[in-house]
Amino acid sequence: MNIHINGKAYALPHENHISVSAALTLHFIEAQQSTFAVALNGDFVGKADYDSTMVKNGDSLDVLLPIQGG
Amino acid sequence: MPLKIYGQQLDNRLLIGSALYPSPQVMKQAILASGSQVVTLSLKRQNPTEKSGQQIWRYLQEIVQQVDGHLLPNTAGCKTAKEAVTLAKMSREIFQTDWIKLEVIGDDYNLQPDPIELLNAAEQLINDGFKVLPYCTDDLVICQRLYDLGCEVIMPWASPIGTGKGLMNPYNLETIRLRLPDATLILDAGIGKPSDACLAMEMGYDGILLNSAVALADNPVLMAKAFDQALKAGEQGYIAGVMEQRQTAHPSTPTLDTPFWHQN
Repeated sequence: MNIHINGKAYALPHENHISVSAALTLHFIEAQQSTFAVALNGDFVGKADYDSTMVKNGDSLDVLLPIQGG
Repeated sequence: MPLKIYGQQLDNRLLIGSALYPSPQVMKQAILASGSQVVTLSLKRQNPTEKSGQQIWRYLQEIVQQVDGHLLPNTAGCKTAKEAVTLAKMSREIFQTDWIKLEVIGDDYNLQPDPIELLNAAEQLINDGFKVLPYCTDDLVICQRLYDLGCEVIMPWASPIGTGKGLMNPYNLETIRLRLPDATLILDAGIGKPSDACLAMEMGYDGILLNSAVALADNPVLMAKAFDQALKAGEQGYIAGVMEQRQTAHPSTPTLDTPFWHQN
């Protein structure tokens, strides 16, 4: 399957779905930072649901971090 | 009198942004110099190996701890109610606050808020337990509708974000103050000079939210202090009661018993 994380394409030929937790290990090469939040296809996914929420072919995951703002 | 935001009392009436400063160090110094207890910030996609975002986040945490303050996440960049609601939920989880500065932009040229999407998003967020601080235009009826939905704080613009043009339409802003006497009104966006902030406070506005006016000043720390003083001057002027304007001149000096050479 093919998914996008923050706009970057990932090809996972041997999977037909993975959990949000597993998808985050693709994004965070180093140890996961504690301060981030996730949306799947534009809908918020809370931390408590990372293991139970599945990412499927064609899905887009957004992983957002704090930044300056006005 | 303290500023009240959803029951939370604050000693300082300035809300300040954390963007556009020459450096994180200047940002911290300027925010501390301003006396503000509310600092806005946002969420964005970032490369996980990028460290600057983490540094800013540490600075902001230090600042709010130091001033016993509050973070106010915004929904900058959102163009639909759905985007704004999602971003608000993500912010609530990260920042552990139900305060949200709600921005839903309808036009890229002047970053004017979309009133339809804004009302839609505000209603959804209020129903979800958020304390919504909506950024809106100076349209009286939009402000009334937001207040009727349950927004205790309304934040009309002075002028478009980042323009520094000051109060474009003082009549509209005065009318909003007059018609919504119980709302907490914070003027947001477009402030350029300390005198702009002072003018709004003299109208009876409860606070000012700004960013560029301080961050883009030649000396942001000094400008932050200037805004702190301007807000206090405007607030005291409002409380003191400004005299009514008069059409004709009136001598300040008593005219009785003036010398004879003035009596012709």
